[in-house]
Amino acid sequence: MTHDRTDPAYARRFSPDAVRELEELVARYPQRKAAMLPALWIAQREYGGEITAEAMEEVAHRLGVPPVEVEGVASFYTMYNLKKRGRKHIEVCACLTCAVLDSASVIHALEQRLGIKAGETTADGEYSLSEAECLNWCEAGTVVQVGHRYYGNVTAEDVDRLLDDIAGDPRNDVVTHADTVVRVQLRGGCKGRPRPSAEVEADRG
Amino acid sequence: MSQVEFVNITIDGTTVQVPAGEMVIESARRVGIEIPHFCYHPRLTMEAGANCRMCLVEVSMPRKNPDGTLALARMPKPQTSCSLPAAEGMVIETETPMIVEARKGMLEFLLINHPLDCPICDRGGECPLQNNTMHYGAATTRFVEEKRHPPKAYPLSKYVIFDRERCIHCARCTRFASDISGDAQLDFLKRGADMEVSSFRDTEFTSLYSGNVIEVCPVGALLSRPYRFTARPWDLSTQKSICTECSNGCNIKLDHRAGKLLRVNARLNEEVNEEWTCDQGKFGMDYASHEKRLRRPLIRDGAVFREVSWDEALTHVATALSEAGPAAAFLGGARSSNEDLFVLRRLFQEVLGSQNMDHRLGPAYPSAADVRAALGSQSPTPIAAYERMTTIIVFGCDLAVELPILYLRVRKAAVRRGAKVIECQPSSYRERPHANKVTDFAHSSIWYEPGQETAIAEALAHVMTGGRDPGASDGASDAAASLPNAVAEANVEFGSAIPRLDDGPIAIIIGRDVWSRSLSVPATLKAAADKMGTPCVINTYACSVNEQGARELGILPDGSVQASAPGLNADQILHGLKDGTVKALWVSGVDIASQFHDPELVTQSLEQAPFVVVTALDLNRTATMADVVLPLASVAEYDGTYTSMERRVQRFHQAFDAGVDVREEWRIAANVGMRLGVDMPYASWRDIFGAIATSERAFAECTPDNLGDGGRLLADRNNEDSR
Repeated sequence: MTHDRTDPAYARRFSPDAVRELEELVARYPQRKAAMLPALWIAQREYGGEITAEAMEEVAHRLGVPPVEVEGVASFYTMYNLKKRGRKHIEVCACLTCAVLDSASVIHALEQRLGIKAGETTADGEYSLSEAECLNWCEAGTVVQVGHRYYGNVTAEDVDRLLDDIAGDPRNDVVTHADTVVRVQLRGGCKGRPRPSAEVEADRG
Repeated sequence: MSQVEFVNITIDGTTVQVPAGEMVIESARRVGIEIPHFCYHPRLTMEAGANCRMCLVEVSMPRKNPDGTLALARMPKPQTSCSLPAAEGMVIETETPMIVEARKGMLEFLLINHPLDCPICDRGGECPLQNNTMHYGAATTRFVEEKRHPPKAYPLSKYVIFDRERCIHCARCTRFASDISGDAQLDFLKRGADMEVSSFRDTEFTSLYSGNVIEVCPVGALLSRPYRFTARPWDLSTQKSICTECSNGCNIKLDHRAGKLLRVNARLNEEVNEEWTCDQGKFGMDYASHEKRLRRPLIRDGAVFREVSWDEALTHVATALSEAGPAAAFLGGARSSNEDLFVLRRLFQEVLGSQNMDHRLGPAYPSAADVRAALGSQSPTPIAAYERMTTIIVFGCDLAVELPILYLRVRKAAVRRGAKVIECQPSSYRERPHANKVTDFAHSSIWYEPGQETAIAEALAHVMTGGRDPGASDGASDAAASLPNAVAEANVEFGSAIPRLDDGPIAIIIGRDVWSRSLSVPATLKAAADKMGTPCVINTYACSVNEQGARELGILPDGSVQASAPGLNADQILHGLKDGTVKALWVSGVDIASQFHDPELVTQSLEQAPFVVVTALDLNRTATMADVVLPLASVAEYDGTYTSMERRVQRFHQAFDAGVDVREEWRIAANVGMRLGVDMPYASWRDIFGAIATSERAFAECTPDNLGDGGRLLADRNNEDSR
């Protein structure tokens, strides 16, 4: 596909800074489409936390690939929001280890507390709740991701403190960049777990 | 051509020499072993291939023992033969216990979410999944959980229904869309347990070649909307035919039942359409079984038509034509067979003494003499020859619409063979509402506004004849810098630099819109081509199914060597009807009232014409203004030949009886001729084709029996005396 990338019709929502950022990333690879994942992060940021059809089309044009290929990538990764999410997106791991450690009860407690089902968003647009595939911190199951932060060893009893912790903290807003996610231990520790009670933040990278 | 290296491999005990690197699944075909498969398709790339795992074989390779002797070492696990390149000494086994077991297991996996609703599936009876399951599969499944149930009849496009339940994710359709048609509108979404094929955001699949995915689908997931639920495959009869929707001459199969055409599938012809069709051809041929087909000859009786016998109608036509004599005229014929045209020409030239014949309906067509003067007698570039071109120039032509199968071949030349494609298009081309544009694979695109065609052609000619710095190594220097003033003044937007053009054979395709208005573009390019050292052919391809046949057989006012003086062209004929110099008109198979460039002129002329006979399939606008309407047999109902735009003469076969009282046009013309006392003793298309071969130099090497299934190119014009 040979799309005229300078055509103003396609320069829709990416800010000049975002375009510069994307072009720097593209320059690292032999093919433009290799920058698909970071391009989608930029798109999610530029389009207000949601990858809309227009966002995918813009990424497709900027990388010179068919739009459906972008959708194929974006629909594979759960961290790309193809639907409008609440400002805080609570994702509870439902994969094997966390399931064995009763992640279902965490999901149930959050559903009760927020008054929504998994996969839904609260009416005020503040919280979204969903089940996630393995979040890659199995030794600390049940794992809950909220925005840029990972909470380990969460049980149903921790749900109130979890919601208190994320309220008003911008670090818990919808993820805008993959490599800034950090692991967090809820203050006060978790029942029955020999874990330090202090907050532990460390780069995942 | 580089030397092909051969290797010896043994497949189920048979040793065979195959080209090194050939996939084992293909090598097995050479020794008559069909390895079951779903995702493998020889024309699709292996990217995202080898995913169905059905074509597993056991492989052993020779290995050196410590003492230097060779011994066979068996690979521990089976390999997919569709992605396994043949290597020297390789030993393949396709029916070992391990393979039998593996195939059973693979089919069990593939059927986990498949609904097994074969009894209500269009594909049942001709379905690779059904056949392979019957042959290689287990009798039952161990999967007792709930199957996935996505929507059953999702309308993917105007012509294609998608049954997602039945899909086995072989990626044939997605690879067709990205590799062959190039629109890339289908891909896998939600990879994982919920994976599905989809278009972007479920938008309409707008490819002009969407129907091909129905044929490549190895299960009943992609289905034809018009054909859905109309027949079972075992009830269909199939006949070989030629598509009539454009001049490409695609080889097709007509599937019919009880005298009704039900579907069109592609028939393999490597020289023409390979195994593809366009949607126009695949879904546009329903006219053959249309309810509105004419059933009897009609004669005007005041304001209404009266059904009459053929005898009455033919006598009426014969009388009117003989009264008109040399003042009779003929329009149309681009959709008639070679045989129809030959007998019609005899009727007009020999019986009536008229050369007032024209098959062209566009404005101000150049005369045949002018075309010969401007372009010489070059034969057009054959479709398959595009793969050998270094440079292909597309000038003012929406190729995917005008010549859809040539579009696929040009795309293949560009994408797989590395041909440089340069397009010069009106800027409105960018807004054309379809997804198959030359721009997607063009090396450079040059946009112009209407009226700038000649300036662009001069600029191209300038580059062709070396009007650039010859020292520029890759030829990518800015061509605009050295263009003549005419182009600079025309303010033409050059999309990017034109590559060097003198490094190999060139084919130039000029769109009908350009060459039918003026010969300045083809003439300018031809003059430049003659000065070049490399072979360069200027193509002004015919567009209707047998338009090239009409050119060859001289359905033109000055097209025949027998005529002493040129007759009237289409415009002159229509004006002649108004002022009384033309006294009778025969309109053949074309609705000129809708298709002529000046429909107003047609309406006025037909109203004032003393006598008009129209041959047609249905009562079209032209026919409603006629004095006599004669019902024609459709392409599915008679035998004959067409000449395609590359001058390939191809046979079409009768599929079924019309069931109504229709006739072939050659028979109608011969019947009229005989009523006028001239013997036209033709009993079948063979008699006429023999006569064509005798009288037409281009057809001299053709006989009814040497056309074969793939047709035959007419003798090269370069070897002929000027016609």
